[in-house]
Amino acid sequence: MDSQSYLPVPPGVGMEENFLSLDDILLSHERLPSRTECLFPRLGYLEKSTDSQDIQEGTKMELPLWLAKGLYERKRRVVSIELPKVYREGWRTVFNADPTVVDLHKMGPYYYGLGSQMLHFDSPENPEIAQALLQTFIGRFRRTMDSSQNAYNEDTSALVDRLDTLERGLFKMGQRGLNSFQGWEKGKASHLTASALVLNYRKRKMTDLQA
Amino acid sequence: MDPAEVEFLAEKEIVKIIPNFSLDKIYLIGGDLGPFNPGLPVQVPVWLALNLKQRQKCRILPPQWMDVDKLEEVREMERKEDSFTPPPSPYYMELTKLLLNHASDNIPKADEIRTLVKDIWDTRIAKLRLSADSFISQQEAHAKLDNLTLMEINTTRSFLLGSLNCMFKLRSNMQPGTSAGKAPDY
Repeated sequence: MDSQSYLPVPPGVGMEENFLSLDDILLSHERLPSRTECLFPRLGYLEKSTDSQDIQEGTKMELPLWLAKGLYERKRRVVSIELPKVYREGWRTVFNADPTVVDLHKMGPYYYGLGSQMLHFDSPENPEIAQALLQTFIGRFRRTMDSSQNAYNEDTSALVDRLDTLERGLFKMGQRGLNSFQGWEKGKASHLTASALVLNYRKRKMTDLQA
Repeated sequence: MDPAEVEFLAEKEIVKIIPNFSLDKIYLIGGDLGPFNPGLPVQVPVWLALNLKQRQKCRILPPQWMDVDKLEEVREMERKEDSFTPPPSPYYMELTKLLLNHASDNIPKADEIRTLVKDIWDTRIAKLRLSADSFISQQEAHAKLDNLTLMEINTTRSFLLGSLNCMFKLRSNMQPGTSAGKAPDY
């Protein structure tokens, strides 16, 4: 049955993040190359390359997304964020040419999520980034659908390898639909199986206790 | 929805049986089930027919559409047309499985029927995937699909809705003005 007592919070919609979603929390750990625009006094211990007590203006650092989002201000320039290379012009033309060959898991397992979050940082290329994300998804949709619906009872790790986290969720949903249909067709619904809990628990018998 | 739930709904369909016992009319909440006389056909829902068959109290007559020639025609039409043809019965997949599992001795050419129904199912599912793919790639707002049975919709439902959700997420990025909750400028 589909109802669960624990419903995981799904990742947020587009530019929003769900505060309680585990996927979004993991996503915000991705690091972005950025450049400080002003002095950070007495925070030198965070920057291991130089030995000074403060972080100087213009230092290039890698900040995680949650920190970068919090510090980013359009008017008072604290940090400036550079786009990771996956979202830049060069890679965008690759995605336009053929989205299916790219290994999205290697490009950062949260390609779509991080791309949506990058739109917060007001880069002039925002519309192109949004368009590229959408087109990549549409291009890869057919492959994901076919592989999830046709792989029954086999090792799917080769298929899932090149998919980003969002696509893996979709793949799993497709697999679940396929497996439940095939299971029904074989008549598994009327076949009683012992629950995994009981098998693992291995209750001690009274005779063992008394001996 | 589980396939088992869809099967449960399919068991409401009416099928003809020939009982070998006699019983007066029974009055159930869902309707009346007519008097049972041995040797005379009577119409009952599938759940009752299967139960009686398992207790060896009746013989099930195959429904009108469960015939090799008719199913072959349906299969040919399905392969020719691009859109969905009306299915032999709104629950053809479930009824085939139930009747062929429990009452295959009463149904002539059961194996051929099973193969034909599987072919029809495969063709329809392939058409469904094709139309889902064109739906997504052309970013349509809505699509109308006639003549789909509940079982087919059920197998594709979670995947299609999930991918449409993702598309919606990615499309909402293109209109930054409508997103609420941007960090306020001090």
